[in-house]
Amino acid sequence: MSWFWAIIGCICNAALVLVLAPLFEGILRKVTARVQSRKGPPLLQPYYDLFKLLGKEDIESGEAPWAQRFAAWLSMGVVLAAVCFVPMGFNAPLGGAGDALVLIYLLMLGGLCTLMAGLAAGSTYSLLGMSREMMLMITLEPLFAVAMIVGAVHANSLRLDAVLGGAVYEGRFGVSGLLMLVVSAASFQALVQRVPFDIPEAETEIMEGPLSEYSGPKLALFKWARMAKLVVYAALFVALFVPWGSGLPFPLGWVLFWCKVLVLVLLVTLVAATHARYRVDQAVRYFGGMLVIAVFALILATYGY
Amino acid sequence: MAAREKLGFLRQRFGAAIIRADLTSDRRLYVFVEPRSVKEVCRALFRELDARYVITIGADDRPWSGCFMVAHNFAFDRDRLLVSVMCLLPADSPRIESISDVVPAANWAEREMRDLVGIEAVGHPYPKRLVLPDGWPEGLHPLRKDVEWDEAPDCDESGAGYDFDDPPEGCTVVPFGPFHPTLDEPAHFRLYVEGETVRGCEYRGFMVHRGIEKLAESVLGYNDIPIMAERICGICGCVHNVAYAQSVEEAVALRPPPRAEYIRTIMLELERLHSHLLWVGLACHIVGFDTLFMQAFRVREPVMWIAEKISGNRKTYGLCVIGGVRWDITSELSDELKTVLDKLESEWHNVARAVKNDKNIQRRTCGVGVADASVVKEMGLIGPVARAAGVDIDCRRDHPYAAYDRVDFRVITAQSADVWGRLVVRTDEVFESISIIRQCLARLEPGPIQTPIKEDLPAGRFGLSSVEAPRGESHHFVITGENNRPRRWRVRAPTYQNLQGVPSMIRDAQLADMTIALGSIDPCFSCTDRIEAVDVRSGAVKVWTPRDLREMAKRAQSGRHIKDS
Repeated sequence: MSWFWAIIGCICNAALVLVLAPLFEGILRKVTARVQSRKGPPLLQPYYDLFKLLGKEDIESGEAPWAQRFAAWLSMGVVLAAVCFVPMGFNAPLGGAGDALVLIYLLMLGGLCTLMAGLAAGSTYSLLGMSREMMLMITLEPLFAVAMIVGAVHANSLRLDAVLGGAVYEGRFGVSGLLMLVVSAASFQALVQRVPFDIPEAETEIMEGPLSEYSGPKLALFKWARMAKLVVYAALFVALFVPWGSGLPFPLGWVLFWCKVLVLVLLVTLVAATHARYRVDQAVRYFGGMLVIAVFALILATYGY
Repeated sequence: MAAREKLGFLRQRFGAAIIRADLTSDRRLYVFVEPRSVKEVCRALFRELDARYVITIGADDRPWSGCFMVAHNFAFDRDRLLVSVMCLLPADSPRIESISDVVPAANWAEREMRDLVGIEAVGHPYPKRLVLPDGWPEGLHPLRKDVEWDEAPDCDESGAGYDFDDPPEGCTVVPFGPFHPTLDEPAHFRLYVEGETVRGCEYRGFMVHRGIEKLAESVLGYNDIPIMAERICGICGCVHNVAYAQSVEEAVALRPPPRAEYIRTIMLELERLHSHLLWVGLACHIVGFDTLFMQAFRVREPVMWIAEKISGNRKTYGLCVIGGVRWDITSELSDELKTVLDKLESEWHNVARAVKNDKNIQRRTCGVGVADASVVKEMGLIGPVARAAGVDIDCRRDHPYAAYDRVDFRVITAQSADVWGRLVVRTDEVFESISIIRQCLARLEPGPIQTPIKEDLPAGRFGLSSVEAPRGESHHFVITGENNRPRRWRVRAPTYQNLQGVPSMIRDAQLADMTIALGSIDPCFSCTDRIEAVDVRSGAVKVWTPRDLREMAKRAQSGRHIKDS
């Protein structure tokens, strides 16, 4: 019956993320507003926004409408698939089924959706956003991959359940794990596409880039996926780097996990509210520096540090 | 003194080519020159005497002198002198040698003169249409006196009539505008982009030209125009209001009472405050720093409220009439204004510190949109753009007006010539403005706020006025006329010159820097565009053609109801 529970677990995880993601977005907006001396929208505004967009007419536009539709569905699908491999207070439902590489690929596929969206729209600004997304992806994704692999090296296994849960700190002093913690924290804003790394969308420069041709339900899917991405990445970050206390009995451990995710979201909000956007070349240089540190950490990890 | 010196130099150099010279005061010089020598005179002023180019004005003077008139205005900022090089052209061939190859800053002004008055600048390096819309018929020049103010020719609506240049090899075209989230008004930059790098651009603007100058010369009266002038711009309207009033006052030698001068100074500085606070906020927004954007707007709000208490409006103060002002600042208002300033000063210290210490803002603005002193000179750039390049010019000090000669203030400059420099200059100017207003309030003495005008204003006099707007010098030129209105009124807003510097600022820059580089001049397209909008509004059942709209406007003008339309 283990497959049955796995399916139930997947559905629970997916439902939980889909339901909670707009709430986190609402908190994010509210806190941002407070920082900016504004009142801010109601906490539930993101739900209203999504419902409104979902109820709108589905307009076909751009160069290749089918690719556009596919990109929107795929971005949501990718997030929902990733959800099954990430522990959300419990062990991941499919944690034993896939290895770390599956997760890396899945999250990279999320970036590819943006590329496809940009190509499908075919307007100048969406193509610009696409090229920026590509530049970011090339430098950003390896960071995340290295973090997983450091965990894998320590755990001596690529199995996901072994990699997650604090494996990165194991080794003689856990130096490589701490280095990766710093690197991942410093690039977390980019993983969840927030200021100062919202470069591919940059409203004041290229008018939302790849998303400029989107509207109605397709836009809702993209936005929802983006909100969910914040939750998934935050959960993943917690599972990888902040595992302490997850062994507590049921309600405590679960609550603690989500508290940690919430704190992370608040941090993201504060960073986003207090920084100006990077230019794409500056961002690439920044991530280049991070990558050097990450590779150094990986070398340390292979020597057991 | 200085005026006589310059005149002496010109007489010695050009002898009989100088037909006549009017020295209305030691701060104004009008030189009438033979048309064939105009270019050389301009070269001498601009290159040898190092004058700053201000603007070129074309006027249809046929009803009075039987000629067309051209004036090239220059400024000697150190000598507090404005010079106008004027010449008369025969009515049958209004042609004059272009000065754009000697004075590149005259490029737009000469094209505008060709479009609107039909005076051909012979040998212009880029004689493309500038102001008139695409389909406007050739040979119809709206500012000529034989063209009615409400004449609306049949335009070719097909979009023909204007061809964009071909992009250079290997570049793609990125249309920046006509509508873009960071442009609050329509303007079209066609960017030639290679990857993420901008290689060049072509500008097509003047899409909201409203014909304000034509209205003033044919429909309005002297005291209606300040109200209309204020509507040239939604941010620095008071500047145009004051500049117009001052140019007329200068032409007819009328001096407003001291209290009025102080009130003008206070309102102009209030306007600078709100404009600079707005700009710093917008600059932060452009680089994605929305928190400072919101804070700047919060800090700015009390300035709008106090302006509303004084004038009845947050903006468009409706301040000036010829010979004075309309609103007094009572002692209660004065006290309240002081409180607002105190709060603003302490809050602005915080914002200024946040902006200046922010590493990300520095990264996005340092070395971006560079316009050094030579570009400033060649393109006639002004205001914070010039001061950020170390060019120490400020009309408040160099061509004092209102009560600026009675207050102390520093002219803020920077040396970096980039967006960062402009940011620092504007941020610090806020403190100077606060100090100026405080000094004015302390010196405000009881007295009248208007000088009564007993007779008709004399016709045919010239008036010049340069007012330092938040974005740079606003220059107004007036020829007084009959029927209680000027014959010619030319407005040169600061963006008109600063915009011409943008192509060199963004050349070889990152596309991501385009918005902040353009934003750094604080562009105001409505200031730059002043004639006629042709627009198509599509409703659910009916498409309004431009003709319908014009008919409707005419009916409304003649007082009939428009419900049948």
